[in-house]
Amino acid sequence: MADQSWAKHVADVLRRNGIRMFATVPDYIVGCVLDELWADPECRVVTTTREEEAVGLLSGAWLAGKRGALLMQNSGLGNCTNALASLNMASLIPVVLVVSHRGDLGEFNPAQVPMGRAATRILDALGIRWIRPTSIAELEQQADGLIKLCYVSSQPVAIVLPSELTGGKKG
Amino acid sequence: MSRLTRAGATRYLASRVKNEVLVSNLGQASLDLLAIADRPLNCYTFGAMGQCSSIGLGIAIGRPDVRVICLDGDGSLLMNLGSLCTIAAEAPRNYVLMVWDNEVHQTTGGQATATAKKASLVGIARGAGIEKGIEVRTQDELARAVDRVLKEDGPFIVVVKVEKGPSTAPFDQDLIGQASRFRKALAAL
Repeated sequence: MADQSWAKHVADVLRRNGIRMFATVPDYIVGCVLDELWADPECRVVTTTREEEAVGLLSGAWLAGKRGALLMQNSGLGNCTNALASLNMASLIPVVLVVSHRGDLGEFNPAQVPMGRAATRILDALGIRWIRPTSIAELEQQADGLIKLCYVSSQPVAIVLPSELTGGKKG
Repeated sequence: MSRLTRAGATRYLASRVKNEVLVSNLGQASLDLLAIADRPLNCYTFGAMGQCSSIGLGIAIGRPDVRVICLDGDGSLLMNLGSLCTIAAEAPRNYVLMVWDNEVHQTTGGQATATAKKASLVGIARGAGIEKGIEVRTQDELARAVDRVLKEDGPFIVVVKVEKGPSTAPFDQDLIGQASRFRKALAAL
């Protein structure tokens, strides 16, 4: 049974690294993080219709001086791959990706499995550094350093959220 | 009456802006703007096809004190129609989406887009909830539209019907330098 405070830890690590601008195409898992952010009057959360729109929006926000994070499911990573490659990687525009990992341990939906298998390989193919903490302790140990790396390298990074951390989605 | 050209409309708009940000779409819009009126407050987007309107929306939300005018293309906006819903929902008063609508995918060889047939981008935007929509076909209409968007609260969509034809301007490969220069110029504003 996952410790349900994981979502607050994710929200806190983003906020304590100066991120106040968020864009999302929600899913059940990142929705738990969004509940924390929506409750915080200092945070601006924009719900977009598609993940690559969120990449564009957060890239604009960065050019306007705001740090941003994109909360989505790994299926959405497929929807925004070209934008991450041709805009963020090519022009050095940083963004923190928070990606729920469906299609892995405990998955009930066969449709999720192929993208579940591909998710971290897509990040590797793009050259995006990622972490995949399986506990709150691992999250706390790695996430601050990852976000620091995002802005020092001026490139996207990803926090992948596995079912071991979040409890996943029960069918 | 002769149709507007993209380069002519770009030249006219550039002559009217001062501290406004211009965000140009990849390909034709950016090539024309770069050649005709390069300035630090221009944000050229040569990547992320379809995302010009979203990049501009992020800038407008990040800097509500600065007016942001996107110069999109019909093909690119048709690829990201959901953006119109997000613009309407967020409703930034400092946001203007201008579309150079030549009814073709110019950069890829001039294949017809949906606006050459039935689709109206102003009509789609109205359905998405953007109430201030203007379609422009002449220089007088362009001048009146620019008057409005420079002083009235948005969000606006201004669809400018322009002649077909590729930009003859050269491409600048320094995308990192362009982004960095824009970010610094906006921070200094």
